[in-house]
Amino acid sequence: MNTIKQMRVQRATTSSRIAMTIGLFLLLALVAMPWWATSGNIRWAIELCCYIAIAQMWNLLAGYAGLVSVGQQAFIGVAGYMLFVLAQNFGINPFVAVILSLIAPAFLAVPTYFLLRRLDGPYFAIGTWVVAEAVRLATSNIDYVNAGAGMTLRVMTQYSQHEREVAFVILCAILLIVTIGGSYWLLRSRHGLALTAMRDNPVAAASQGVNVGKLRLYIFVAAAVGTGFAGAIYYMAQLRITPSAGFDPFWASMAIFIVMVGGIGSIEGALIGALIYFFADRLFGEFGSAYLIVLGILTLIIALYARGGVWGLLQKLGDHPWFPVRRKLILEE
Amino acid sequence: MQWLDAIVQGVLLGGMYAQYALGMALMFGVMRIVNIAHGDVMILLSLIAVSLAGVLPFGNIGLVLVIVPIAVAIGWILQKVILNRVVGADPLPSLIATFGLSIALQNLMLEIWSADTRSLPNSDIASASFQIGPIYLGLLPVIVLVCAFVIAGGLDAVLRYTRFGRGLRAAAADTEAAAMTGVDPKRIYATATAIAVGILGLAAIFAALRATVSPSDGPAQLIYAFEAVIIGGMGSIWGAFLGAMVLGIAQAVGLRVDPGLGILFGHLVFLLVLATRPEGIMARKK
Amino acid sequence: MTGTAILSTHGLVGGYGDFQALFGIDLHLLQGEVIALIGANGAGKSTFLKSVFGLLPVGRDMVRYEGVPVGGTPAHKMVGRGLAMVPEGRRLFAGMTVEENMRVAIDHARLPESEGQWTRDRLFELFPILREKRNQPIEDLSGGQQQMVAISRALLCQPRVLLCDELSLGLAPRVIREIYAVLPEIISGGTSIVLVEQDVSLAREASNRLYCMLEGRITLTGNSNEISRDQIAAAYFGASNAVA
Repeated sequence: MNTIKQMRVQRATTSSRIAMTIGLFLLLALVAMPWWATSGNIRWAIELCCYIAIAQMWNLLAGYAGLVSVGQQAFIGVAGYMLFVLAQNFGINPFVAVILSLIAPAFLAVPTYFLLRRLDGPYFAIGTWVVAEAVRLATSNIDYVNAGAGMTLRVMTQYSQHEREVAFVILCAILLIVTIGGSYWLLRSRHGLALTAMRDNPVAAASQGVNVGKLRLYIFVAAAVGTGFAGAIYYMAQLRITPSAGFDPFWASMAIFIVMVGGIGSIEGALIGALIYFFADRLFGEFGSAYLIVLGILTLIIALYARGGVWGLLQKLGDHPWFPVRRKLILEE
Repeated sequence: MQWLDAIVQGVLLGGMYAQYALGMALMFGVMRIVNIAHGDVMILLSLIAVSLAGVLPFGNIGLVLVIVPIAVAIGWILQKVILNRVVGADPLPSLIATFGLSIALQNLMLEIWSADTRSLPNSDIASASFQIGPIYLGLLPVIVLVCAFVIAGGLDAVLRYTRFGRGLRAAAADTEAAAMTGVDPKRIYATATAIAVGILGLAAIFAALRATVSPSDGPAQLIYAFEAVIIGGMGSIWGAFLGAMVLGIAQAVGLRVDPGLGILFGHLVFLLVLATRPEGIMARKK
Repeated sequence: MTGTAILSTHGLVGGYGDFQALFGIDLHLLQGEVIALIGANGAGKSTFLKSVFGLLPVGRDMVRYEGVPVGGTPAHKMVGRGLAMVPEGRRLFAGMTVEENMRVAIDHARLPESEGQWTRDRLFELFPILREKRNQPIEDLSGGQQQMVAISRALLCQPRVLLCDELSLGLAPRVIREIYAVLPEIISGGTSIVLVEQDVSLAREASNRLYCMLEGRITLTGNSNEISRDQIAAAYFGASNAVA
């Protein structure tokens, strides 16, 4: 019998090292955009970053915590509105206000979770939708935020185009680091194992000491904050928010499409899906309803026949994760 | 007095919601199948009815005789082609699949019918009303309520006392064990969905008579149906009926408080029930 | 010998998706017999029953009923042919009463209740406690009583072959004896039985012949009263492959 002299746990793979390097490069490129890209490109980049973030958060909820939400738009809207209120009505520096506005989705998420947590699967989903609708309707009736007419972020005019762009790309970089990096960090930690266990069998996981309820609460609030962050940035770039836009159920459709087509349950999948959606939107968005019909049918087909999405299909060809979470035991003689 | 009137109007509104909810109670409450496209299918049937009414010389009864069979066929196909593939313990696939279907259907209807609102030509029924004491009751809403009541009773009886009903409850309780007992789960689910959508067909005609419909109205009806089923308690047909009444009354009362608050009141009552008695009004506490 | 077999399997292979659990099972059941299938946990006994009954995919010719290849026929159609199963863990229909559970079987049975061997009355004679409890929800019954309902439900399908998966699981010894006491009456009613059991002595007492499985293969077969304990131990745990 051989004596094992040393063991180490290896996580990184060749594919992940390549992916990390490319990722870092892209992040740097993003932050440098005000100096090399056009304003139009920067707007696109901001949108893409928001899509990626929202999708990652939905994936965290549905793919890992087993919570399917059709109401994340509630957090997008409240964060956006909080930002506008803080910046316009209270005169706080808008870029600081973005961070402060995250209080709103957090505050909404906690009671929402406690209200809905006893519901499983589809009831939970519909519950989140109702909460989003309730918040939308309430907002449309509150005069302090201009009710249905919405609010405009006039304070932004005091900053130059260049100043705004620099701030936006930095915010987007932070957004990506927080959402993608945060998800990855979570999955690599011991909570990640608990999450995977919980996703596969909550009862068994609980019997192994996983505090399912607490973990789900944390994930729900984290996802709400991440989603809200993206929403605040998005509407800050739009300069205008209304209840029907900020709380539009289409945000949910978009998140679902991105994550399902890209591949649920993996960070890579949500990234791929966001890219697919983004380019499809640029290329075919002009066709309006016809384009959306195709989107809908694609989602349907993926749910029926290819539940692992594009990433799932790619994984069948070879296991090359960009964000590896599995641990490999390496024996060294 | 206006509060009594609000309650009465709420009950009548609840009759319409009950028609949306009864099919949902069968599919969601009994079979545990999520169909996000439930509302959109109803709108589709309404729009088909409106288009047919414009072309063919049918009266409303004639329309019912045409639309309900179409609805039944749609339900059967829906279950066989899509839903039977996603029946199982994991609710995610059926949720997502029907979500995609909903988006596709809504936009298909937009392409075909455009965003204009439509309704069935206003016949005498739609505008007739009668008076009981100080309250005015529209004839059509009363007919809708009575129909909802009859359908609820019929559905409940079918589930409790017939071969089909027992088989469906068995298949919903344990699909594999039901198959072991001779029940063909796929067939029985398809029949149940056909019935559920058939009810939607009738609801579609009433909806188009009562008010206008437009392609993007589906999600709202879906939410009302779900709220009614959950308020009343899963698995209970009369629960869905009662839940629809509660929802209708909540909305009517809210409307009286402030015209912009009707629907919000309904949502708030729903959330209140979720917070205090999530198993629903009619369900036995386990 | 296989000419008069009412149920037989031939080189049956199967499993769950990519995972193969059964590696060529040859087994037969003669009319009027009780055969027992024993083996440790994970040997593949339940998988085998499910494959026979059409709950898991299997090759058409691998299962023959009355000589006719029926492998892969869906379960509800197998009931129409004359098989029925008492599944592991009872699996009664929640939210329904004892009688309703029985009526589902009657509604979909191979023959109408009036023409078949098994009627509700006959089953209430077999299991008198059920007559008392017929209108109670099955959740209110004890484990043993639930097992009685499960057996009744299967018999009301009017089967000629009854597949029983771990009848004794989770039941007290006295209750197990009560349940096993009715097996002779089931046989006299014209139904042959395949008994999957973990309890070896129970299986030997109740059956005419037995098969022992290990890791998806038959390791021993023979008449129950002729096989020695040592042979069974060897076949059960895998010391050698013995055929009596």
